[in-house]
Amino acid sequence: MAFTATVGNQQVSCGEDQSMLDAFLRAGVWMPNSCNQGTCGTCKLRVVDGDVDHGDSPADTLTAEEREAGLALACQATLRSDSVVETLGGAVGGGITHPLRDLTATVLSNDEIARDTRRLLLELPEPLAFHPGQYVELTVPGTQLRRQYSLANTADEDKVLELHIRSVSGGAATERWIFTSMAVGDQIPVTGPLGDFFLPAEDSDDGGPMVLIGGGTGLAPLIGLARTALSRDPGRRVLLYHGVRGVDDLYNLDQMAELTKVYPAFTFVPVLSHEAPAAESVHRAGFPTDHFIEDVDSARGWSGWLCGPPPMVEAGVKAFKRRRMAPRMIHREKFTPATD
Amino acid sequence: MTTTSETTTPDRAWIADITMTELERNPYQAYERLRREAPLAFVPVLGSYVASTADICREIATSPDFEAVITPAGGRTFGHPAIIGVNGDIHSDLRGMVEPQLQPVEVDRWVDDLVRPIARRYIEAFEADGHADIVTQFAEPVSVRSLGDLLGLQDVSSDKLRQWFGQLSRSFTNAAMTEDGEFANPDGFVEGDVARAEIQAAVDPLIDKWIEEPAETAISHWLHDGMPPGKTRDRQYIYPTIYVYLLGAMQEPGHGIASTLVGLFSEPEQMEEVVDDPTLIPRAVSEGMRWTSPIWSATARISKVPVTIAGVDLPANTPVILSYGSANHDTGVYDAPTRYDIKRPPLPHLAFGAGNHACAGIYYANHVMRIALEELLEAIPNLERNTSTDVEFWGWGFRGPTSLPVTWEV
Repeated sequence: MAFTATVGNQQVSCGEDQSMLDAFLRAGVWMPNSCNQGTCGTCKLRVVDGDVDHGDSPADTLTAEEREAGLALACQATLRSDSVVETLGGAVGGGITHPLRDLTATVLSNDEIARDTRRLLLELPEPLAFHPGQYVELTVPGTQLRRQYSLANTADEDKVLELHIRSVSGGAATERWIFTSMAVGDQIPVTGPLGDFFLPAEDSDDGGPMVLIGGGTGLAPLIGLARTALSRDPGRRVLLYHGVRGVDDLYNLDQMAELTKVYPAFTFVPVLSHEAPAAESVHRAGFPTDHFIEDVDSARGWSGWLCGPPPMVEAGVKAFKRRRMAPRMIHREKFTPATD
Repeated sequence: MTTTSETTTPDRAWIADITMTELERNPYQAYERLRREAPLAFVPVLGSYVASTADICREIATSPDFEAVITPAGGRTFGHPAIIGVNGDIHSDLRGMVEPQLQPVEVDRWVDDLVRPIARRYIEAFEADGHADIVTQFAEPVSVRSLGDLLGLQDVSSDKLRQWFGQLSRSFTNAAMTEDGEFANPDGFVEGDVARAEIQAAVDPLIDKWIEEPAETAISHWLHDGMPPGKTRDRQYIYPTIYVYLLGAMQEPGHGIASTLVGLFSEPEQMEEVVDDPTLIPRAVSEGMRWTSPIWSATARISKVPVTIAGVDLPANTPVILSYGSANHDTGVYDAPTRYDIKRPPLPHLAFGAGNHACAGIYYANHVMRIALEELLEAIPNLERNTSTDVEFWGWGFRGPTSLPVTWEV
């Protein structure tokens, strides 16, 4: 049994067990979304008419009062009748939407690139349209467990997806699969693209300076974003900080050196939190957000991009605001802990 | 043995001890006790009955047994017919005169283009300083400049408009009465009279011009709209309503902007949430309006017939002041009402009044406050209250912070 959700002048058919968000994105109808697991609240919408089942919507994200007031989390709620919904931020359709798709990818390579860190290259049977900075979901074989990994690709790299994955102690996806049993040639299901961590459309991109701060494998989406921004405007100031514990955690250094050579206004700053940098190395000690404060006097007119553990993202938001970056120009992608 | 009457009639003597100075400094204490012990009571210093709870304010504001009346000090300041104190055909005509420009669909058409550049201009003037007084350098100027331009008073400086609303405001709330029902401080109306004379001197030439050449200004529309060809409304007929605008509509969005910020500063986590997510600003403004209602106690109604409200018998022609600022702190409606909290259930509040005299500018004012705060928090997301001084609020009729010093890293 499927029900129809109407948003604005668009109608989308939603399966019985299908979240509204999933149905909308598959139909190519944009709806704000970020974590897709009920924790961030980005996809909150108003059910103007009709019944929904809130599913596993957490009480923290969707309070009793909000439910009472007709709000729902699109990523958790399923329809129980034909419904009319509206997004809270206003109009649906902020730019180009790439439909959510399920594809079976082939593992092309799975190499260790830094301490406890793999680069996974997945070859797709057909191109996948996405915005650089978005992520895909992998399903751990033999389970229902889904894990989200950001794409390090630019939009034209649409046949081979590049993911950076750090091992999690006891992790079902990492220790028991990607870092152990996954082999080149394996066929694995991939769902994507997802998320709202991407640049404005080219015609509304003001070409302003950008600062990107990645913690650990949080570097991945920033690579796609930085390369896309630089190709749009090669003279653009782009400041990329990579925060890691020690030298052994750094990776893609050749790529960073190449970008630095090609784009004079691009700066890469590796920052080590748990090791003293060697004499005369380019590495800095401490936390990237503190270095940003030292390096940039005013971030008025800049955009900021943060991907990493929640404390790093929160420190970054504070640092950006301290340098007077407009809050609406601050973009964040948190590593949210797996909920299952 | 005590008598029965002593146990059933609470001692109300304290109400006679309430002073104007006390109310203007901080009305909340006296009103908390009024709500608890005498929610509809005659308050001698005001020479009037006062309604202090949400239920009673709403009941009187919407009752067919009451109609609008301007407070004595308000009437002395504005003259007749001010839109807030008239009824029947005159009220209908004046509402019909002001409302077309204030319809949501109409306001949506121009409010962003009107207010945003003004807010940006005032921010640009101080953003490199690292410190400012939000009340005098931002909230008040943005409020008066936006409405001033809408009315057609582009040539009147923001400082002059701020001076006028201050003079009119103090005169309007010069409410203290003697036991004989006379104004206790008649000299307090002099500055209001001075302001009115200045306003007429500035506006008369504009009216002369707009009578001949109608323009896209609110006052020009007031002269012409709904009138037969070749006729305009008499200027003396619209002046009292011009004063209503130049006081309440000029001063109060500024109060609302500043009070909302003070409230947010009192809850740093909520401040951060609002800075990070500007879509929360309307909610923050709504709570600011509840928390410190700008039009705290400036409107009144009068009974048309003998009526019993909350167990109190009122003869016909009894004025009742509606203290909406108190009603919005009614513990029967709001938990911990003295706390600013954008997370509280979004219950309706009475900051814009109720009934057929509810504020005509509610939609406009809410957008002025929203846009001002959007621009301020976008330009200075690292805004901090200068905690070396306390924020002082002042006012019983109209209430808001007297100053709000802030700092930020440049």
